[in-house]
Amino acid sequence: MDAGEGSSKNATEPVRTIQSGDTILLRIPSGDVRTLKLEKGGTINLGKFGSFYSNELIGQPFGLTYDISDKKLEVIPPRTFQEVEETDATNELIVDGQVQPLSLEEIEALKKSGVPASEIIQRQIDQHKNFQLKTEYSKEKYKKRKEAKYSKSFSTIKPTLFNVCDYWFKKDQSRLRDIRPDTLSQILNMANIRPGGRYLAVDDASGIVVAGLLERLGGQGRLITICDVESPPAYPVLTQMNFSKEVISIMSSLNWATADEEYTPVLTMADANADTPKSESQRSRVNKRKSMASALTQTREELFAGEFDGLIVASQYDPFSILEKLMPYLAGSASIVVHSPYVQIVSDLQAKLRDIPTYLAPAISEAWLRQYQILPGRTHPLMNASGSGGFILHTIKVYDDPSASSVNTHRRAKKARSEQLVSRLSSTAPEQTPGQREPAIDIAAQSAAIQMEVDPSNTPS
Amino acid sequence: MWSTAREIAEGDLVIVWMTRDLVQPLAISSGKELNTRFGVYRHAELIGVPYGSKIGSRNGKGFIHLLRPTPELWTLALPHRTQILYLADIAFITSWLDIKPGSHVIEAGTGSGSFSHSTARTVGPTGHLWSYEFHEARANKAREEFSSHGMDEIVTLTHRNVCKEGFTVVDTVDSVFLDLPAPWDAVEHAKKALRKDRATRICCFSPCMEQVQRTIIALNDAGFTEITMYETLIRPHQVDVTPPLPTVSTIGNQLKEMEARREAKRLRQIANSRSRGDKRKREETEDSAEDQSAEKRHADEVDGSGKRVRTEVSVTQELDATLTEQPTTARRANAVTTTSDAGAGPGTDGQNLTAHVVKEETPESGLPPSKPSVSKAFPEVRGHTSYLTFAILLPASAIAEASTNMESPTTEPTPEAEVTPATS
Repeated sequence: MDAGEGSSKNATEPVRTIQSGDTILLRIPSGDVRTLKLEKGGTINLGKFGSFYSNELIGQPFGLTYDISDKKLEVIPPRTFQEVEETDATNELIVDGQVQPLSLEEIEALKKSGVPASEIIQRQIDQHKNFQLKTEYSKEKYKKRKEAKYSKSFSTIKPTLFNVCDYWFKKDQSRLRDIRPDTLSQILNMANIRPGGRYLAVDDASGIVVAGLLERLGGQGRLITICDVESPPAYPVLTQMNFSKEVISIMSSLNWATADEEYTPVLTMADANADTPKSESQRSRVNKRKSMASALTQTREELFAGEFDGLIVASQYDPFSILEKLMPYLAGSASIVVHSPYVQIVSDLQAKLRDIPTYLAPAISEAWLRQYQILPGRTHPLMNASGSGGFILHTIKVYDDPSASSVNTHRRAKKARSEQLVSRLSSTAPEQTPGQREPAIDIAAQSAAIQMEVDPSNTPS
Repeated sequence: MWSTAREIAEGDLVIVWMTRDLVQPLAISSGKELNTRFGVYRHAELIGVPYGSKIGSRNGKGFIHLLRPTPELWTLALPHRTQILYLADIAFITSWLDIKPGSHVIEAGTGSGSFSHSTARTVGPTGHLWSYEFHEARANKAREEFSSHGMDEIVTLTHRNVCKEGFTVVDTVDSVFLDLPAPWDAVEHAKKALRKDRATRICCFSPCMEQVQRTIIALNDAGFTEITMYETLIRPHQVDVTPPLPTVSTIGNQLKEMEARREAKRLRQIANSRSRGDKRKREETEDSAEDQSAEKRHADEVDGSGKRVRTEVSVTQELDATLTEQPTTARRANAVTTTSDAGAGPGTDGQNLTAHVVKEETPESGLPPSKPSVSKAFPEVRGHTSYLTFAILLPASAIAEASTNMESPTTEPTPEAEVTPATS
């Protein structure tokens, strides 16, 4: 734990470069992100931004920006920002309209002749009547807009959890059930995901939660997911993560039938009448069925043995029914995180859970995120932002001790007594003498309250 | 890091959860006693108890929950030596910096160790965290803490001012997190510590926009790219359970009833004072039946005034109405019909009246009341922590390649020269 010791810890882990078979994310000049599967020896077509040989990318580190020229790639330096010098220009003399400096045909001809984008933009500027009347800021904006239009370049994006989540969220947030990168990171931290931990997940959010879990487990520990389909679920988000086999190997999936303790696997019954395989192919089929059956049995046993460290739920189904089902398999002090795009779903859940003593302090939160444009002298929040990344309920599983009494029980008893008093007063029928018991009062509530009165709860409040 | 065993053992650090606002760490050491306003507990009696247990105090007064420490609970429970980082920022930084198992990370300054614990958990035994603190006493305290939390293998803590002296490692880490008053002074040092064979990441954490402005200039000058900035917060929501909101026609009817009852009472009072005058004249000849009816009238009056009070209560408290409010309204409606019956025929039997009321309301209160839950943001929330400025440092080789490409632009393309058929 002292200075210098660190240098010996230099990583041996090799640099992960772009490989054939990877599904990669590319940012094109317009700012949009595209995804594609990289195959050796192919050509990648980015439409008006050009096309290039896929081999050009193989072996490259992630995160670089390239110019496309003659189907080959050339690394170009990333954009840095320069200070913009103020001038006297104010835009006030600009006459709207009549600014098109080059006709469409002229631009098309230039593009076809292979003139680089910067050249086209320069020619446009040269012929632009109002360009010199613009402020320096406006000029910058103009150039940037034109670059987005004409430049034949793109950048590769490293498939980090943040970038993959961001890509999917921007593409179609409903498929992620509104899980935004900041929400996802909060979910993973709240659930205390650590390498070596054992977790349960219910992910109806295209696999973004599973992707996060697998990434943070790093091939160490265990993940059992429960899904609503017969065959192992397709988690499409995993494609962009390009996980290795080892990272994925720690995951098994059950569905709501096989995760039920009452369920009898059909597969195990089937191999009883397949004793005498007729052919080689039948034998291998039987073997496959057997190994599937035993894997299923094993996963089921593992789930039912319980003691999992945490549970993450991002599901379209009633979250309370999910918690009821999976709660028995969680260890004491396990974190439970439930995400929903709707606050009502988690508020209703919170209202139910807070009456159940095995859920400690269920709390609801919403992530708030604001991104800024960062330019010298031009820093401000982005004009467009995501409205919500959904709502998170977090709670901790605890073992209840009904004999223990507390401040809360005391308060609850007090509240119950006062509620009773109110209802007793308000329900007193005209002819009743004061103090006469109203027969309609909920008997259960009453006896509970009486029990609490007897309870030696003695709290400092 | 912390114990992963099912049960609490001697020497373990546990998190004692008393209330949402009172969460504290406790190192188990048999022979010691935990004495709080939620009771008295002997450490020896907590050994062998499963994590997550609710424990009643020895004298039966109050209880506590014993939780397994997590970095998130530690953030709630830790002794503050400085302003600390909270969940929203920690989680977002971890995610943007791509911190995961096996990552090598630098953090400066250590502060109270909130970010350190979270990062140590996430990088795990295959990763490493180099943490730097310029305040000697805080550094020593943090070192002690990391050691007792079993983090020696994962965290290297150094007492040093990184703005002046730089970091202890070169070309080693995947990401750098700077929580310093003047992060711009550490940017060049950070660049040295970051690995050059891959794209690496940096985050500067500053509460003021002026700091951000200086930081981005320093980052830009040092060759960092994709500079971006975020602000993130957690908005906690509170949940309330309410009965369905009463409609205004209910309130209107209640007001009409009140008015009618007041009028009825007034007429009764006039009638009473008249009859009292009559009574004085023929006191001796009064029969028991009349006595009863007077008593009855008196009961009606008492009831009338009592009800008025109640109605006012229900009007003013409609928003935080209790669960019993709905059945009460139903009962009141019934009671009102019976009262007006009684007014029409003063001789009605009181016993029957009560029975009628009870019969009417029993099915009503037997139904579970529907309880919609509503939620809203807490009235007071954290409004700002810091601005998170992020940037990327591309691999040295790529930067070199790019600059040579720029210096000698390739000869213009000859599109027709070599026609290569596209395979797709």
